[in-house]
Amino acid sequence: MSPLPITDMSFDDLLPSTPPLDEETPFATMMGLFDEAAEKLLIEATAYSILRKPDREITVAVPVKLDDGTLAVFDGYRVQHNMGLGPFIGALRLDPNLRVDELRALAGWMTWKCAVMNVPFGGAAGGIRINRNRRSRGELERAVRRYTASLIDVVGPDRDIFSPGRAADEEVMGWVMDTISSHERHTTTAVVTGKPTVLGGSSHHHDSVAQGLRVILKLAVEHYDLLGDAESLSVIVQGAGSVGGNLARLLRTEGHRVVGLADVHGGFYNADGLDIDALLDFKEETGSLEDAPGDFERLTNEELLTRRCDVLIPCAVPNVITIRNASGVNARLVVEGAHGPVTARADRILESRGIPVVPDILANGGGVVVHYFEWVQNRMGYSWLEAVVSNRLRRFMTEAWDAVVEMKVDRKVRLRTAANMLAVTRVAAADKMRGVFA
Amino acid sequence: MPTGTAAAEDTPQIDEFNPFQAMAERFAVAADHLGLEGGVRDVLRTPDREMTVAIPVIMDDGSTRVFRGYRVQHNFSRGPCKGGIRFAPDVNIDEVRALAAWMTWKCSVVDVPFGGGKGGVICDPRELSETELERITRRYTTGIMDILGPDRDVPAPDINTNERTMAWIMDTYSMHVRSTTTAIVTGKPLALGGSKGRTEATGRGVMISCREAMQKIGMRPEDARVVVQGSGNVGGIGAMLMHREGMRIVSLSDMYCSVYNDRGLDVPAVLAHLREHRTLETYKEADIVPNAEQLQLDCDVLVPAAVENQITSRNAADIKAKLIVEGANGPTTVIADKILEERGVVVVPDILANAGGVTVSYFEWVQDRAGFFWTEEIVNSRLELIMTNAFQAVDETAKKYDVSLRIGAYILAVDRVAKVYKLRGIYS
Repeated sequence: MSPLPITDMSFDDLLPSTPPLDEETPFATMMGLFDEAAEKLLIEATAYSILRKPDREITVAVPVKLDDGTLAVFDGYRVQHNMGLGPFIGALRLDPNLRVDELRALAGWMTWKCAVMNVPFGGAAGGIRINRNRRSRGELERAVRRYTASLIDVVGPDRDIFSPGRAADEEVMGWVMDTISSHERHTTTAVVTGKPTVLGGSSHHHDSVAQGLRVILKLAVEHYDLLGDAESLSVIVQGAGSVGGNLARLLRTEGHRVVGLADVHGGFYNADGLDIDALLDFKEETGSLEDAPGDFERLTNEELLTRRCDVLIPCAVPNVITIRNASGVNARLVVEGAHGPVTARADRILESRGIPVVPDILANGGGVVVHYFEWVQNRMGYSWLEAVVSNRLRRFMTEAWDAVVEMKVDRKVRLRTAANMLAVTRVAAADKMRGVFA
Repeated sequence: MPTGTAAAEDTPQIDEFNPFQAMAERFAVAADHLGLEGGVRDVLRTPDREMTVAIPVIMDDGSTRVFRGYRVQHNFSRGPCKGGIRFAPDVNIDEVRALAAWMTWKCSVVDVPFGGGKGGVICDPRELSETELERITRRYTTGIMDILGPDRDVPAPDINTNERTMAWIMDTYSMHVRSTTTAIVTGKPLALGGSKGRTEATGRGVMISCREAMQKIGMRPEDARVVVQGSGNVGGIGAMLMHREGMRIVSLSDMYCSVYNDRGLDVPAVLAHLREHRTLETYKEADIVPNAEQLQLDCDVLVPAAVENQITSRNAADIKAKLIVEGANGPTTVIADKILEERGVVVVPDILANAGGVTVSYFEWVQDRAGFFWTEEIVNSRLELIMTNAFQAVDETAKKYDVSLRIGAYILAVDRVAKVYKLRGIYS
């Protein structure tokens, strides 16, 4: 048999460089925030040093026979940051621009987020450097299955759990579950979360972040007494997808005025409140909010962020509130629905203007909590009713909020610092209790 | 008479102060009542498995010392073995065996799906550094790893071991099996899969047993004057909870002395004083009584919640209480038992009264297996349910066989294990 022809290496999804773990990486930047928290907590350097390096990193080659009969070898990674609190959990990404140092940052981030939300996991992140849009479904499936099989020694319900990430949807999670189950010779649902409901997915997994945001928003509004004598709040939501869209609907149902909404194409503003259902229905039909009819002012995303409102909730992409527009933000509270929507320097500007920011690690933690619930339900082999999931989600969000606020009051720091300090406290305590295995 | 060859010889004479002989004697009485034939009786008296391991450890000064460790699994008919690990210089295999058997009966009384186990390492923790203790714990865990597991044998804290030790065991086991295994051990810190309500579980169980027993003998909580021997995890927390139930706690004690006030102590204040000053001797709001006289104080309920062999042939006749609730393990000797029974004093036995601890350990194991953790209210309400059911079952058994609650508890426990044993049959 002749060897398979090797395709040329001009694909954009092959052969990344693997930068070393130095000080100029996203991981180091992310850790800088938590180093600061550790210093404030007076945690000994030795107790904290284990957190400054990921526990384990695995690189695998992912050979895939393409539809034309040629062979391509993709790169796959899994970074497992810290297992003090329990098995690892983290996203699986399918991304042509995948970089190890970003995965390291993402894995570390998950460690802290799980700690704040008090779910018994450590953080991980991984993915395949592959461009989903350029690959057939069959090629993609073969890549995901091969990647999973290569990692089988380090993943498992009590080792490392995959959750959906960029371009990896519930269909992909189903392939992962099937590959592991086939290898293990028994059904293993708890190894992946974000699965389709028929394969053990949890109810509310599509709108978990929005549900969590709603709880946090309510608590924050009480804490800062934003409502006063008014009956409802005016809210601007940036983003109209599973986070922003669902949140806008929930807030409208609760009687709040969603005065602004945006998707990638631009935003809408109406000081009396938008007709959210009409807008989102239009988006569902046409795939976009562009050209949606209605009574509102059309503006750019940039303009929307500086419009007047009680609460501004950026739920779309990172770095939307920056030094350029932070001084123009016209809200009384900012809640980070997206990952890192406020830059570090913008954060300081908002602080100096007296606008509190509820940090992402707390505000959008509903996602990981429902992933945790899915894992619990899979372990028991018993699915909870939707109402049970939402009650328990409310409990976890409330407990996390209370713990962060307690830290904030105790240490006289702002919410973001308090959340980071809470995370470091919990992870360092678990690592210290467990000691060093030798 | 036992007929099996593997059975240990019955020790011919009873040493009043050997709590393990006391346990064996009570087992024998229960087995007689149940008419257990020789073979089954032998099986239930013989530990299923015993393991002795050498524990070589590099000490902080670079020298090597070899410690000796044991794990005894008394009976796993009803489920994986459950029981503490103690670190003490006087650990010996006989004691470990007896304590393992004791755990079998205790788990059976409260009907949690475990058999009894016990382990220990011969060492003096006062002479060891933290790092040496950690190395001992990890090497001991590795040594007995083949017989441990969430579905095999689940250790817990005991004398000189604590949640820190349990965290080391959990970590060692998890690293060896290459996956997080919290259900391998109970009594862990909350952050590593521990259960809410565990610290106060034994005290809460004592309170519940006491309340049930009072209802049984028609004593109203508000009329009850209660003497509690001890003021730690069991006595102190038990007293606090009984105080909240409206009972009048007239005396509490620590190692040095007892405090007494016939109108009832301000229990929170006494415990706060103890926390602050580490002794009750300086407490001013009550009379100070020597410990030797505490048990004979005029009262309605006596809760010995300190150490074994407190109510003996010497003082049993002078006890004024009508009800005794055993918070400690083995506080009443066999001879004292007989004296109390003749005098009509009701004794709620240790294997029922202080089983709240193992019950919440069971809850911890359940929560770890699910990976989902209960609120404190749920833990407490489920504990309440298990304790009241166990009390009722013991009471009914005692009535049925016309025996004391203690013998009733042993009959119930032995019968449950024997029934499961017969159902499973002998694997060969």
